[in-house]
Amino acid sequence: MTDKILIAFKSIGKNKNRNFLTMLGIIIGIASVICILAIGDGFAHTVTKGMGNHNTRNKVVIMYQPTTDDNTDGGFTNNDEAVLEKIPGVEQVKLASSVVEAGAKAQYKTKNVTMSLNKQPKHLKLVKGDYFQMSGASNGVYISEDLAHKLFKKNVLNRLISIDGTVFVVQGIYHISDMNYRPDAYVSKTIFKQLFANQISKDEARLSVEPKANKKWIGKRAVKQMKKMGEQKNIGTYKVSNPDQVSKQFTKILNDITYFIAFIAGISLLIAGIGVMNVMYITVSERRKEIGIRRAFGATSNDIRNQFLIESVVLCVIGGVIGIIFGYLLVAIINAFLPFKAVITAYALILSLSVSTAVGLIFGFIPSNKAAKSELVGLLKEE
Amino acid sequence: MLKVTNIGKAYGKFTALENINLEVADGEFLAIMGPSGSGKSTLINILGLLDQSYTGEYLLKNKNYKTVSDNFLSRIRGDQLGFVFQNFKLLTTYNVYENIEIPLIYSKKEQNNKRELIEDVIEKVGLKGKEKNRPSELSGGQQQRVAIARAIVNHPNLVIADEPTGALDSKTSKEIMDIFTKLNQDGTTIIMVTHDSEVAEYAMRTVYIRDGRLYNDEKSVKKS
Repeated sequence: MTDKILIAFKSIGKNKNRNFLTMLGIIIGIASVICILAIGDGFAHTVTKGMGNHNTRNKVVIMYQPTTDDNTDGGFTNNDEAVLEKIPGVEQVKLASSVVEAGAKAQYKTKNVTMSLNKQPKHLKLVKGDYFQMSGASNGVYISEDLAHKLFKKNVLNRLISIDGTVFVVQGIYHISDMNYRPDAYVSKTIFKQLFANQISKDEARLSVEPKANKKWIGKRAVKQMKKMGEQKNIGTYKVSNPDQVSKQFTKILNDITYFIAFIAGISLLIAGIGVMNVMYITVSERRKEIGIRRAFGATSNDIRNQFLIESVVLCVIGGVIGIIFGYLLVAIINAFLPFKAVITAYALILSLSVSTAVGLIFGFIPSNKAAKSELVGLLKEE
Repeated sequence: MLKVTNIGKAYGKFTALENINLEVADGEFLAIMGPSGSGKSTLINILGLLDQSYTGEYLLKNKNYKTVSDNFLSRIRGDQLGFVFQNFKLLTTYNVYENIEIPLIYSKKEQNNKRELIEDVIEKVGLKGKEKNRPSELSGGQQQRVAIARAIVNHPNLVIADEPTGALDSKTSKEIMDIFTKLNQDGTTIIMVTHDSEVAEYAMRTVYIRDGRLYNDEKSVKKS
């Protein structure tokens, strides 16, 4: 076996350019496979990780949804929390919000604008003004270009605006790009907590249930109780959030995309395989004398078949390995642009090498068989 | 060692060999002489188990190999026979050592030390120091020495040589024939095809082939 692999390397090395061109198809195909799998795995990982917060084993999540878009205030109240806690099997109830921003009304002179705001982030790139972490009770505010246009004509900095009745001084303007979502304004952390955080409606009730409890029954019971006793039942509806289903839908979409790209990679590998078959036919024709010599000196037709099959597989595996390296580089480049991190798993590597080997075996078989079946006397007449 | 009875072969209507009867004893050095187109190569292909499409009976060491599988025949060729061809038939991309190694790759014989076997035959044919050379870097005589080394590296019972001096000048031919003579003296049975009567004189016995028929099967006296 080692002898045959060495012979294969020697033979491939003899026609480097020709064999490299043949390998190109495999390289591109395998690099595509690596990228597809890395993006798929990375996406799946991100989605499942995100879902993981909601999808913990002993949790049931009840969602509140306002009937109309105008009623953004509704949600679960402390009384609702007490009702939910009484449901058999429920250990603890925690109210949360699916959104983190607060809604507010901004006023400048006679202009009134509805806006969203949040506590200021660590870093923010400004178009105008200087960015710094505002102290606890600071009444500074950073507003978006869009909000600035709605409120003022010019000279935005240091103007006073009223947000839900509290006066703020505009410290800076930031730009919101199409790719990046940001609220309309940022205030200091302390001010946000004191004045606005309570306005964020608690539209999620996270029920921690006993390990042996029937989650489905608890979910149904909780929704029933809320429909009956919920304080905001008149302006919204309650339902059980089913992260499993969301996750399944994501996985399905992801799988469909993966299958589609895998199909394209498959076509690329098919074409590469035909290239391998072609080059193996040429190799067999060029080496008829060698086949004759080997057969005269004891090689069986099986030895010859295996020899060329090994050569075909080695060619494809070398292509596969280069493809994997190339795939790694591509994934590194792609990661610079993706909102999530594409990851290359051991499964992707094993699959890539298996695919390369399979291409070598499938497309190398017919030429190898031709070599094995050639008539010996005819082969020995070759010069 | 080898006995063929009533061997015949035809290509369509053309009869290449007819009623060939030949017996080669262990340790014998037999020359088969004949002009071009007489059927020498056809006969040697059959004797060397390279061609199985013939009529008649073939016995090697009293075993009939007419009906065995192709793979089995390959093993017999690898372990019991050695070939030397007119145009050397060396692999040009392989060096001397690698060319000689070929029969050992496929041999089922137990080999404790491949390298030792190869170095031993390289010394025997006088090519020490040329192990790393490619055939293109060697003279015709040296290339034929590599071919002989390759034929004998696996210690075959029978060496079959097809016009081994056909591509060599007379001085080199003599050197090559000296190697064959030495091999035969060491106990190797040799069947050699040649059209050169001077070369045939190195053999213990010469048979003649003409128009596919073998004749004059008499022991000749070695003169040199």
